[in-house]
Amino acid sequence: MKGLWSARPTRVVLVALVFLPALAHAYAGPGAGFAVLSSFWAIFVAFLYSFYALMTWPFRQLVRFLRRRNAYGRAKFERVVILGFDGMDPDLAERFMKEGRLPNLAKLRDRGTFSKLRTTFPAISPVAWSTFLTGVNPGKHNIYDFLARDTNNYLPFLSSAEIKGPKRHIKIGKYSIPFGKTQIKGMRKGTPFWHWLGEAGIFSSVIRVPVTFPPEKFQGVLLSGMCVPDLKGSQGTFCLCTTRVSDDKFREGGVRVPMDRKNGVYRSYIPGPDNPLIEKGGELRADFEVRPDLRAKSARFVFGPEKFALEVGEYSEWVPAEFKAGMGFTAHGICRFYLKGLSPEVEVYVTPVNIDPGHPDLPISHPVTYSIYLAKLLGPYATLGLAEDTWALNEHVLDDDAFLAQAYGNHEDREKMLFDALDKTKQGLCTCVFDTTDRVQHMFWRYLEEDHPAARDVPHSEHPQVIQDLYERMDRLVGRVMERIDDDTLLMVISDHGFKSFARCMNLNAWLHQNGYLALKDGKSESGDWFDDVDWSRTRAYTMGLNGLYLNLKGREKQGIVDPAEADALKDELWERLSGLVDPASGAVGVTGVFVTDEFYRGPYTENAPDLLVGYGAGYRASWDSVMGKVTRQIFEDNTKAWSGDHCIDPRLVPGVLFSSHKFIEDKPAIVDVAPTILKLFGLALPAHFDGKPWALASPAGDR
Amino acid sequence: MACFAAFSFSMVISILTGPLAIVIVVSVVVGLAMVVLFGYTSDQKAIGIAKDQLKAHLLAVRLYRDQIPVVMGSYGKILRGTVRYLKLAFKPLLYVIVPITLLMVQMDRYLGQTPIPVNAPFLLTVHFSSSDALNDATLALPSEIVMTAPPVHIAADYQIVWRLAGTRDGSYEMNINAGGQSVEKVVCVGGGLPRISTVRLRGQFWNRVFSSAEPSLPENVSIESISINYPDRNIEIAGYGMNWIWLFFILSMVAGFIFKELLGIQI
Repeated sequence: MKGLWSARPTRVVLVALVFLPALAHAYAGPGAGFAVLSSFWAIFVAFLYSFYALMTWPFRQLVRFLRRRNAYGRAKFERVVILGFDGMDPDLAERFMKEGRLPNLAKLRDRGTFSKLRTTFPAISPVAWSTFLTGVNPGKHNIYDFLARDTNNYLPFLSSAEIKGPKRHIKIGKYSIPFGKTQIKGMRKGTPFWHWLGEAGIFSSVIRVPVTFPPEKFQGVLLSGMCVPDLKGSQGTFCLCTTRVSDDKFREGGVRVPMDRKNGVYRSYIPGPDNPLIEKGGELRADFEVRPDLRAKSARFVFGPEKFALEVGEYSEWVPAEFKAGMGFTAHGICRFYLKGLSPEVEVYVTPVNIDPGHPDLPISHPVTYSIYLAKLLGPYATLGLAEDTWALNEHVLDDDAFLAQAYGNHEDREKMLFDALDKTKQGLCTCVFDTTDRVQHMFWRYLEEDHPAARDVPHSEHPQVIQDLYERMDRLVGRVMERIDDDTLLMVISDHGFKSFARCMNLNAWLHQNGYLALKDGKSESGDWFDDVDWSRTRAYTMGLNGLYLNLKGREKQGIVDPAEADALKDELWERLSGLVDPASGAVGVTGVFVTDEFYRGPYTENAPDLLVGYGAGYRASWDSVMGKVTRQIFEDNTKAWSGDHCIDPRLVPGVLFSSHKFIEDKPAIVDVAPTILKLFGLALPAHFDGKPWALASPAGDR
Repeated sequence: MACFAAFSFSMVISILTGPLAIVIVVSVVVGLAMVVLFGYTSDQKAIGIAKDQLKAHLLAVRLYRDQIPVVMGSYGKILRGTVRYLKLAFKPLLYVIVPITLLMVQMDRYLGQTPIPVNAPFLLTVHFSSSDALNDATLALPSEIVMTAPPVHIAADYQIVWRLAGTRDGSYEMNINAGGQSVEKVVCVGGGLPRISTVRLRGQFWNRVFSSAEPSLPENVSIESISINYPDRNIEIAGYGMNWIWLFFILSMVAGFIFKELLGIQI
């Protein structure tokens, strides 16, 4: 008996409490009160929602029926699933299928379609995905590159969205309190095809398709992808906190923050957004401390209320980062810590601070609650458009393994989102874009070829099979999706462009300078970033961004000198001189094509387009300096950065892929055709402004 | 003006030292202690995940409201999630229930009833083990307690009820003699916050723990229990009187909610 009582004390207490007088179970403290309130609140709210949904469902269905007359009546499929594998290359896919590495994609090829998918001019992700989702050429959606230029000052701005603080402020002493909402203006024009589906009563789940920030309203759910900024408003600024004394600055994408030591504790901070309450009040900061344990090669971190331990070479989970500006203003972000090393220097890498999806300070989804829903269901996840920190690897802040761990961590979260969307979207459209394919190929192409300048220090026999592993991983994902779909679902796997080596850089501004089209101020042989020291009064052409070449046109550019009447002649001249330009060091063709945009852009926004597009040859691309409007002495040089593969070249050389579970009859499918094809598959009429043409399904496989 | 200040000061003092102040202080302290205890004894990560999952399924109902299978599926997940959450809250709840229950029992001794007002009648009820014992039972009173009516014998219930009154503030022992044995019962008369025991019992261990503040009656005596009908204490707030336990419930909950936010503890 004694044993029974001592062995089960909790049961004894429980039994005693249940059978004892009223006072004992009249109240069991805040814990019980909270537990009961919380759980019953959840049930109560759920019941209300369910009751509401059940009661109103017939009426909503009736309204939908009357308005849309059986949305799926003419649809060829109940559901269309589109997996976007950014940058998947058809040549590599074919090669790996031949090697038996991609059994699931091979199945799609054998049963349905495998084809090259013509990309956009230029072959840049925001351009191509904008065309994918709008079904129009860039002249109608206004995205020509990541960057666009301000014709007043020749400076760049993000082409996809403009974010400004609230219009009104209330001034109290040194404080300037913002009054109203942050203004976010989407620069991408055109209407996503899921809008037309929604109009017809067809539900869509859209996950991380690029250039969907700010999110637009439609019938469905959407999580924005590429072009979502970090909490600082940049496209991703990592932070290296270090005890190493250095005046070096990262060229792009990151900041170095000193770490101070006191009593064995290292203290540093993460730079956040600018203080919104004080003009020129500087950036907000979130402090953290590190307590190293050198023996264990680990350290304990204290970051706000969060406490965690990391071993050297280990990432933390996503942790909340709050930046308090005072007066109740707090910016909410999330970040991950990576313990780079403890000896001889303490170094901690921190990812760019992402907008917290569970507490978004900017809308990153439609409806706003969708990002919150995913955060509650799956835990915090990367929201930054370019979430994989390629800059940190380029700058040797992260090594290959650390980068891959980060990239695949994000990828796994994306997979979970996809499978949840598949579960929830039994009818309609389900589309999810995976960026991992693009980022990993950018950063690891150097190991795919024999003599890439960025991997000359590693013997070819020791090159890791990163890209092979990547394609196999994507294939397994396709396999798992195929297991979850039936014959009433059309599965498409597409990419926006392919990939090629980026072994040699070309500074087009340097070429323009050396050939008399771009002039520097007297005494200068190089310029700074963004055309610092360029003499605009003698400059006829310039380039910024990845492929665009602009004339310094009178009446358009603030200091334009090229008469519009002479513009065509100048374009022809540039076309002639640049086409087939040979790299003297290798004898290879560095520029395989120059394209006059007037000839193939049509639409209301062509005035914002570059005048010419430069198509680099395979193995070549614009140098980073050229992209950033810098004139150097050298035109061609080796690319020794980890960023060793690219696609911002002659678009004819980097088509994307098209796989589908059902056969399409189309010789030369293009990414611009996807939107009209989907609308047609759901039996909808095509808007007249579409530039793409729908593909026909081979009968009878697609007939229902 | 001086009179008003003096009156206000005396009011503040009386509030600060009265039962309301005690309940407020204890509620805040208990709210804090319980939240901390819950935090230490619970699986905070699992509770956080369980709550997040519940919220996610609630949001799913809203996001996919046109899709009845999703709505119904989410409703099922909400029910399952609630059970999971309650299971996670159960263990820390046990740790919380034991000390809080014992604390409340002790607090109820002071705050549950008021002493018998001076000169106000009260009933002393003695419950015997058989009707035979009623015949030779007598009551010996101290000089400050007077009998205001003859005792009433209720043979069917084995009870004798005396109607008494106290003439002075204080705690007094009354002696009940039955079958040659004598036992005492304390009665509190007047004001203040004395420790009050409404009943003295024989045996009944758990009942004594929760209801009595006096030692057990001897086993060989024929008396089962001795009780006094103390008036319930109501604490006045904005002209509305309520039992201290409701006030404690509300205040400790509020304090708990505040402290859980401040301490970052998941409940």
